[in-house]
Amino acid sequence: MGRYWRTLRRFWGTAVAVQLEYQANVLIELLAVAMSLSGSLFLLSLFYGPDQTLGGWSWAQALMVQGLYTVFDGMATTWLRPNLGAIVTHVREGTLDFVLLKPIDSQFWLSLRTLSPAGLPEIGLGLGLLAWGSHQAGVVLTLSSLLTVLVMLLAGGLILYSLWFLIAATSIWFVKTWNATEVLRALLASGRYPLNAYPPALRLLFTLVLPVAFLTTVPAQVLLGEAAAPMLLAGLGLAVLFFAAARAFWLFALRFYTSASS
Amino acid sequence: MIQVEGLSKIYRVAEKQPGLAGTLRHFVRRRTRDVTAVQDVSFRIEPGEMVGFLGANGAGKTTTLKMLCGLIHPSAGEVHVAGHRPQRRQAEFLRRITLVMGQKQQLLWDLPPMDSLRVNAAVYGIPDGVAQRRINELADLLELGEELTRPVRKLSLGQRMKAELLAALLHEPEVLFLDEPTLGLDVNAQARVRQFLAQYNRRTGATVLLTSHYMADITALCPRVLLIHQGRLFHDGPLEVLADQLAPEREVRLELESPVEADALAGLGRLEQLEGCDVRLLVPRDQLTAVVAQLLDRFPVRDLDVTDPPIEELIGGLFRQGRV
Amino acid sequence: MRVFGLNRRIIRVLLGSQYAHMLEYRAEIALWALSGVLPFIMLSVWSGSDARSGLGLDGSALDRYFLSAFLVRQFSVVWVVYAFEEDALLGRLSPYLLQPLHPLWRYVAAHLGEQLTRLPFAALIAAVFFAVQPQAFWVPSLGGFLLAWLATWMAFAIAFLFQSLIAALCFWSEKASALERLQFIPFLFLSGLLAPLTAFPPAVRAVAQWTPFPYLIDFPARVLAGQPVDLLAGFGAQLAWIVLLLPLVLLLWRAGVRRYSAMGA
Repeated sequence: MGRYWRTLRRFWGTAVAVQLEYQANVLIELLAVAMSLSGSLFLLSLFYGPDQTLGGWSWAQALMVQGLYTVFDGMATTWLRPNLGAIVTHVREGTLDFVLLKPIDSQFWLSLRTLSPAGLPEIGLGLGLLAWGSHQAGVVLTLSSLLTVLVMLLAGGLILYSLWFLIAATSIWFVKTWNATEVLRALLASGRYPLNAYPPALRLLFTLVLPVAFLTTVPAQVLLGEAAAPMLLAGLGLAVLFFAAARAFWLFALRFYTSASS
Repeated sequence: MIQVEGLSKIYRVAEKQPGLAGTLRHFVRRRTRDVTAVQDVSFRIEPGEMVGFLGANGAGKTTTLKMLCGLIHPSAGEVHVAGHRPQRRQAEFLRRITLVMGQKQQLLWDLPPMDSLRVNAAVYGIPDGVAQRRINELADLLELGEELTRPVRKLSLGQRMKAELLAALLHEPEVLFLDEPTLGLDVNAQARVRQFLAQYNRRTGATVLLTSHYMADITALCPRVLLIHQGRLFHDGPLEVLADQLAPEREVRLELESPVEADALAGLGRLEQLEGCDVRLLVPRDQLTAVVAQLLDRFPVRDLDVTDPPIEELIGGLFRQGRV
Repeated sequence: MRVFGLNRRIIRVLLGSQYAHMLEYRAEIALWALSGVLPFIMLSVWSGSDARSGLGLDGSALDRYFLSAFLVRQFSVVWVVYAFEEDALLGRLSPYLLQPLHPLWRYVAAHLGEQLTRLPFAALIAAVFFAVQPQAFWVPSLGGFLLAWLATWMAFAIAFLFQSLIAALCFWSEKASALERLQFIPFLFLSGLLAPLTAFPPAVRAVAQWTPFPYLIDFPARVLAGQPVDLLAGFGAQLAWIVLLLPLVLLLWRAGVRRYSAMGA
């Protein structure tokens, strides 16, 4: 375990070093995040006039959802895209072999190899938005609700990671479909708005098949005191389920790789 | 150190017509075909041996090498490397081997090799002090200095390959699998890499299995060679035996000050070409030194070049002649 | 006879080879088409929202608007800056520059080939949409369809020229492609892809009219959906942007190529 921890520190140390090679990118990223967030808020404001709600959610409550979405989007920029996007490159260029020959778990290596600090401001802004929205919505913070939200964020992150990893792992078979994760990203954009803003059929889809609801809407409900223990358990259960599926799928993909590749 | 018994690898390849219609037809009715990449190969390699692994492109060299590392599962047969079955890829096994691929790199492109080395040290669980000592030693042998702190993208191909070797050897593996480690390097860099591998083998007693397109790599390093053709092992033994069989003659190219007659070259090997001042001779290997000395003695030589035909050509020639 | 360095034969060969090339990438292109589903997600949010009444798009008009927005986007996606960057990086650019044909034509042909490859996938997605929302089905009049087609092509032309301008800047700076990322953000929010322009407050709308963005999605989509639009003003604005951008692109490219050859890269 100590070896994994030390490896992780080295991974991220080198990642930050790479970023420092390209300082201008950080500024560009910052500008892009600021523009993107103002655009999202502008778009959200279009749904709100006097006395208007979006699926029964007030402006402040919707801001909480938007904040949570921004956190996960930042997480994708910081962690998922740079790592899982590299899997297809490894497969295409044959450097996956090097990863498989390291005495360390290959999924660990592929999932945590690098980190892009450029997405961190987005996470910060998202958390800020969440805090502000919560305050406006009259949320009373208790230690237990804070802890619950933290657990929900972790569960959401795990769900997001597992979905992304599952799709990225298919590149072992279909090198040419590397942009399948773009489809996932497009669908995840539905997490910008509260689940109730969607028609019932889509709500079902976003809860069970592509559990976007557990990333943004459910944590916001937890903070608002509207969702209780069963929801929390369902979120955790889904996270464990998705992670187990991603793990099993990776082992299966590796078996295919080692028996069919040349 | 390496035991291979009846090793075979059969791929199932999908047969698909090109184009959209072909894709659809393939989807409805899959047609597959079995391709044998490696067939019934057996050999043993003792600790400390340096063995050359020869074969034309597609002969099954890389497939065999990957089976020895555990990257590909054999269809049949037994493989033992350093007392392990490679396909299980246990951590203890992986710590004892390494794979270097000439055309692929593990070093991070944007960072100095040093950063990648630190990552490897952590992954292999090597304490920092020990890692630093080994880096210094290996860098010394490889004649690498400040290159280790320059981004990889700014290194020449030769420097990059040497850094790759360093990264691959940091954990002091006992078994080295090298797939075309000198590919694309200039002659000087090739020689440097070769020299390093010989030194490393002497110092650590590591077992080395090496493939190369350059005959010079094999002649310089490997007293024993394995020759694989169409998936089968055709030769396992000293290089000289194979070399004589493969290339009993070497080519001598001469550029003279003034034209000569063909008669004047009688007894100096087989005359291949004579055009004014340009001469090409095929000289039996064992007479080479004597012939070259005589040539220099008797003629006004402006330029003299002795070449080994490329290994592909030799092996191709061998099989065309039906000698194996 | 050559017009802008093109004749019939060159056009035929370029388009044919690029279409064949793009067919090889049909799996990726199908996924790209699918990743354009954002307008449908926005449609489902708009349909149930209180703010819907302010859009001026009643009943099926809203469905038709967003489907049209999806289709217009499908056939005006531009990626010339990425193709250019890759070509420059892999050293394919120099041979292109030696040929007696402006390299941009090659990219134009590649885009048209990609659009043709995309066509069946976009049609499939539209068919699925109509299967789910049968009441939204409509057939535009021939005249309306042709006008929408023209408007979409003009939108493609504007987007292509705009991105070519950014690609030309790559001759000077490696960072230029980041501009593409930055300009994509206002495009996303101001083009009408996520919300019809009628949803905007008047002040924002007035500002947006002076950017090229509404003419890339909102205008062609309204023409296709059969909404009443000021055709003269829309086409006029599209033409104006093309007339403005074209000489800029050509000048900047010429200067860029000169710089490139001077550097001997």
